[in-house]
Amino acid sequence: MAETGQIVEAGQLTRRAVEAISERHGEPRWMREFRLDAFEAFERLPWPTTRDEKWRRTDLSGLKVDELTPFAEAPAGPLPAGLRMTVDAFGAHSGLLVQRNSVAVHADLDGQVRERGVVLADMHQALREQPDLVREHFMRYVRPEKSKFSALHAAFWTGGTFLYVPPHVEVALPLQSYTWIDSERVSIFPHTIIVAGEGSKVTVIDGFGSLTAEYQAFADPIVELALHEGAQVRYVTMQDWGRNVWEVGIIRSALARDATLNSLLVGLGGKLVKADVESVLQGPGASSEMLGLVFGDGRQHYDIQTLQEHAAPHTTSDLLYKNAVKDRATSVFIGMIRVHPGAQKTNAFQVNRNLILSDGAKAISDPKLEIMANDLRCTHGSATSRLNEEHLFYLMSRGLTRAEAVRMVVEGFFAELFERVPLERVGAQLHVAVAAKMTE
Amino acid sequence: MADLEIKDLTVQVEDKVILKGANLTLNKGEIHALMGPNGSGKSTLANVLMGNPFYQVVKGGILYKGEDLLAMAPDARARKGLFIAFQYPVSIPGVTMSSFLRTAVSARRGYEKELIPVGEFQKLLKQKLAELPIIEPTIVGRYVNEGFSGGEKKRAEILQMAMLEPEIAIMDETDSGLDIDSVKIVAEGITRMYERANGNMGILVITHYSRILHYIKPSNVHVMFDGRIVVSGGPELAEELEAAGYEGIRSQFEVIAAEVQHEGAVKRAGKVFWVEH
Ligand SMILES: Nc1ncnc2c1ncn2[C@@H]1O[C@H](COP(=O)(O)OP(=O)(O)OP(=O)(O)O)[C@@H](O)[C@H]1O
Ligand SMILES: [Mg+2]
Repeated sequence: MAETGQIVEAGQLTRRAVEAISERHGEPRWMREFRLDAFEAFERLPWPTTRDEKWRRTDLSGLKVDELTPFAEAPAGPLPAGLRMTVDAFGAHSGLLVQRNSVAVHADLDGQVRERGVVLADMHQALREQPDLVREHFMRYVRPEKSKFSALHAAFWTGGTFLYVPPHVEVALPLQSYTWIDSERVSIFPHTIIVAGEGSKVTVIDGFGSLTAEYQAFADPIVELALHEGAQVRYVTMQDWGRNVWEVGIIRSALARDATLNSLLVGLGGKLVKADVESVLQGPGASSEMLGLVFGDGRQHYDIQTLQEHAAPHTTSDLLYKNAVKDRATSVFIGMIRVHPGAQKTNAFQVNRNLILSDGAKAISDPKLEIMANDLRCTHGSATSRLNEEHLFYLMSRGLTRAEAVRMVVEGFFAELFERVPLERVGAQLHVAVAAKMTE
Repeated sequence: MADLEIKDLTVQVEDKVILKGANLTLNKGEIHALMGPNGSGKSTLANVLMGNPFYQVVKGGILYKGEDLLAMAPDARARKGLFIAFQYPVSIPGVTMSSFLRTAVSARRGYEKELIPVGEFQKLLKQKLAELPIIEPTIVGRYVNEGFSGGEKKRAEILQMAMLEPEIAIMDETDSGLDIDSVKIVAEGITRMYERANGNMGILVITHYSRILHYIKPSNVHVMFDGRIVVSGGPELAEELEAAGYEGIRSQFEVIAAEVQHEGAVKRAGKVFWVEH
């Protein structure tokens, strides 16, 4: 224990471990109490089972959280090649934050951007240096008692990114953050908060990856985005865990008047991934674009549950999720549109398209509506298709091998997403990732 | 040895027999036309030549440059120089013409691990577009056939044909859906391709109209009827058919069919012949 600097041991989902984590980071009392309250909620709440509505499609019985260590120091030494490659692939940035296991190992921010008041820091540093800002936003949009996993997160969180963009500041180049799991038998709980001030503009790329190890690791990240009036945020989360990683995560955004969020969730890695992606439109004129690209192979299991919540009139949400599954992979998409009473003149669009590439693969799609207003435009649709043999024949009739033809059809399936995300490097990365999946 | 030799080809879809023993021989350096009423099996023949998995060959065979064509996958056929301009090309969502063309040209030209260099590809594309002035260059930025008009689809097929420089090309009603001027321009483009190939290209033009044949001059005209080639002749046959329709052929064909059924032998009557193998 001493030699690795471990402050808690595997299997220690205990009050004592929560205290040790809080102590290690020299936290203010309110945070320590926040953690302990969350821990109580965690103990009180039952583990979800497939009998729970939200967990009907996803069986967590293989996850051994109690055999994992809820805190792991970063290994010494240079960044692993896989992480370095990913960081480099995204090119120029205004700021970069890197976390390994539970601990941030690198942070930089362009001097000019910093001068304009932008804060990019790991969450612990932010808590020390910007306690009021953090306290104002920390778990404001995702409450600890929301679920067993959010309570677990709130009690044990370490790492994650804090970004604050002051009013009317535009950050030209993307800010990037990478979370990398170096070890097996580890759980990580990064907490990310993005606060975009009134009329500000910023792009954030949030990457997740790991070494591929034998034994499982677990990630329970929560991301909260607060967009103030007229803020414009583009948020890309790119998940490419190794095959041993299980994830239960939440991304929730709150949009004030006239704010615009363009988000893209990319799911490529992991063994089992459950993600709640939620956007709450709180101010008139707010607009949220929610894009998703999921590509499962092997025996991967993805369960993505989205929420487009219209709490104010004249708001727009536009969701498009494209999920491809290969081999024996499963993708689940459950999309809820909720329109509050009084949220009139709302536009809510939801499309889920699935492409099944192998007989053993499965795609489930389940759109849901809760509409309590009466003057709105709302459309939702889902379609699941298999590879079209006529398309493949046409491509092959021009000399493409079957494998090339399939790759082309799959890239074509995702093309609409590439087009809607004007980040060249992200597009290029996705092309590479999709091609790699096809040859696996 | 003929470059393309179709022998007694019998083909069915599900339980329906569509080709009932078709025979046809085509060489590089030749242009043939194939005519015949709707539903007689012309497109079926074209699709079987390319290896469309939807059709089952139950009898007969096809030799391509001496090799068993039916044993090859469609992509192998294409790489060996066979090309079909489809009557009804499908659209492929999200796949741009340019990336499709570049991959296809690379396959045809034997690139294995990587693609033809962008510069070289662009040069080739520019040259082919210049030779086919009816093709909107912006077409290459669009998704394959997606939202194309009928005529645009036909033009896109011809652009693919030009890019792939086939040795044997089958054009399935490329002229249907093209306006009168476009037929002329497409036909001239094809004639140029054919002439430039200098004896290294053979073309089978499937059509209902003699118009395109005024520009692309076939040496032989074949007529398919109910799954068989029942008449073959010179270019004048196309004009005759256009003037008289298929009625004349139909009545003679029925006489022959009855005779064959009765006597089990090869008969001739007028221009109609039918060889039993
Ligand atoms: N995929 C298919 N499924 C069922 N029947 C088919 C299929 N393809 C062709 N057929 C049938 O086979 C027959 C021949 O069709 P084919 O398309 O080859 O005719 P064609 O000579 O090309 O006609 P056209 O001049 O109208 O293009 C028709 O009766 C057609 O309905
Ligand atoms: Mg036809």
